[in-house]
Amino acid sequence: MSDAERLFESLARAIIDADETAAVQLSETILAKGFDSAKAIERGISVGMEKVGDFFEKSEYFIPDLLDCAAVAERATAILRKGLAKEPVSRGKIVMGTIFGDTHDIGKNIVALFMEAAGYKVLDLGKDVSARRFIDAAVQWKADVLAISTLMTTTRGNIQNVIEQLRLDGKRESFLILIGGRAVTREFAQTIGADGYAENAAETIRLLDKF
Amino acid sequence: MTDISPKERLDRALLGKPTDRAPVVCPGGMMNAAIVDVMNKTGHTLPEAHHDADKMSDLAFDVYENTGFENFGIPFCMTVEAEALGSAVDFGSLECEPKIQKEIFPSVHDAVYLPIGAIEKTLRAGSVIQAIHMLSAKHLDVPVIGSLTGPISAAASLIDPMTFLKQLRREKETSHKVIDYVVNQLISYAKLMADNGAAVISIADPTATGEILGPKFFDEYAVCYLNKITDAIHEIGVPVIIHICGDVRMVKPQLQKLHGDVLSVDAFVELKQLKTELGEMRTMGNLSTYLLEFGKADEIFNQAKHLTTKGIDVLAPACGLSTSTPSENIAAFTTAVKEG
Repeated sequence: MSDAERLFESLARAIIDADETAAVQLSETILAKGFDSAKAIERGISVGMEKVGDFFEKSEYFIPDLLDCAAVAERATAILRKGLAKEPVSRGKIVMGTIFGDTHDIGKNIVALFMEAAGYKVLDLGKDVSARRFIDAAVQWKADVLAISTLMTTTRGNIQNVIEQLRLDGKRESFLILIGGRAVTREFAQTIGADGYAENAAETIRLLDKF
Repeated sequence: MTDISPKERLDRALLGKPTDRAPVVCPGGMMNAAIVDVMNKTGHTLPEAHHDADKMSDLAFDVYENTGFENFGIPFCMTVEAEALGSAVDFGSLECEPKIQKEIFPSVHDAVYLPIGAIEKTLRAGSVIQAIHMLSAKHLDVPVIGSLTGPISAAASLIDPMTFLKQLRREKETSHKVIDYVVNQLISYAKLMADNGAAVISIADPTATGEILGPKFFDEYAVCYLNKITDAIHEIGVPVIIHICGDVRMVKPQLQKLHGDVLSVDAFVELKQLKTELGEMRTMGNLSTYLLEFGKADEIFNQAKHLTTKGIDVLAPACGLSTSTPSENIAAFTTAVKEG
């Protein structure tokens, strides 16, 4: 294993442990030694966050752990970005938000952090987002994916409005639609004609990678 | 025991004494019961009734009379405490419950500590207290349940929740200081509710779930502070309901440490099984709110009948009742329980 690879691996470990001091130190060392920052992000930060997602799925990590790890990943990414010759090629552009009428956003925010850590570009429209705002943002931003969340059974029908409005606008085929949140299921996604459903952040990334 | 009043029945059920049958209640707060059907029928409506004591007590009475729930449950939201301690609230509409528009502090380090008693000094909390007083004085046989936002949810309504949840792990000392401050405020407010006639205090803490916090943080933060509030309320002789949302399987050992009289849980928890694992604590629940909103009245009736055979101490909706729930569906639920 080369020096660079050892550092990337240590960086992944620091992300998993939410060890901010180590993550900052390792990122600065990677920069100082002139190692490839893009590879450090991919093999250190993304790999670390992938493992964090695995721990969450196995109920070894919980929301406070995820958020702490994600904050460390964010800090390390900001340092490593200084070493990038140009913005890394994004793996895809995602417009996301919580559907109109619903203001629950912790889960959605965590998914956004994971998407960014995995190399996707994310435009987070926040909560209580109308069909029109979703569609306009996706068109203007030339998104690949619309990711919509809800935790309320009373608002999940509003996701269907987004899909119907896209059809009316003749743009349904322009975007893949991914839904998530406690109030929706795989079956519901199929019923309303969404392209996918993910139960948590780690599954979201696996699904996006397949798209 | 045929002449037992709803108040005595609930009191007996909460304390594990024999009753003629289990009571059926909705404690207000997160579970709410001010449904659109009732408000349209009576003309006492939200959001006005969130502010005014007369309107609040009128609406609580309407809910009692039109749903069959055997209690008054107020307030109708979970924002009174956070608003009083500084956060901005969107009061919603007839159909939509109030929500926190903006938490006042970005991080636990930014918290400003107001003198204890700050909640009840505000107009809206004052209206809740006054409504409790009016209802309990006028309807001696009907229990008033004072609904309290749990410590973790209340703290997460003051501090940006993404930062707050992260800081539970990273900034433990300051997180404890903030939650302890919130708890002391909640205790003061709950005691005033009880002094003014609340027969029961119900604490719902939807941010403090096993799924969000996991066993370690649930133990360190939720159990510890729920018990501090419960103990203080018990000191004045008032029973306590604790509602924990979501899947509780991974925090069962921690639930056994709770000091509440009754534990209320979500629909997918098998209460009969949980009851055997809780020791002294009684159980409350847990008719699916999804079924209540979207099911047919006869399905609801049958499901409620089925629940009454499981030895559950207090029957109630399993979680937050949607304001769109038809009143005939709730009536099917309460009728089934009352028929025994």
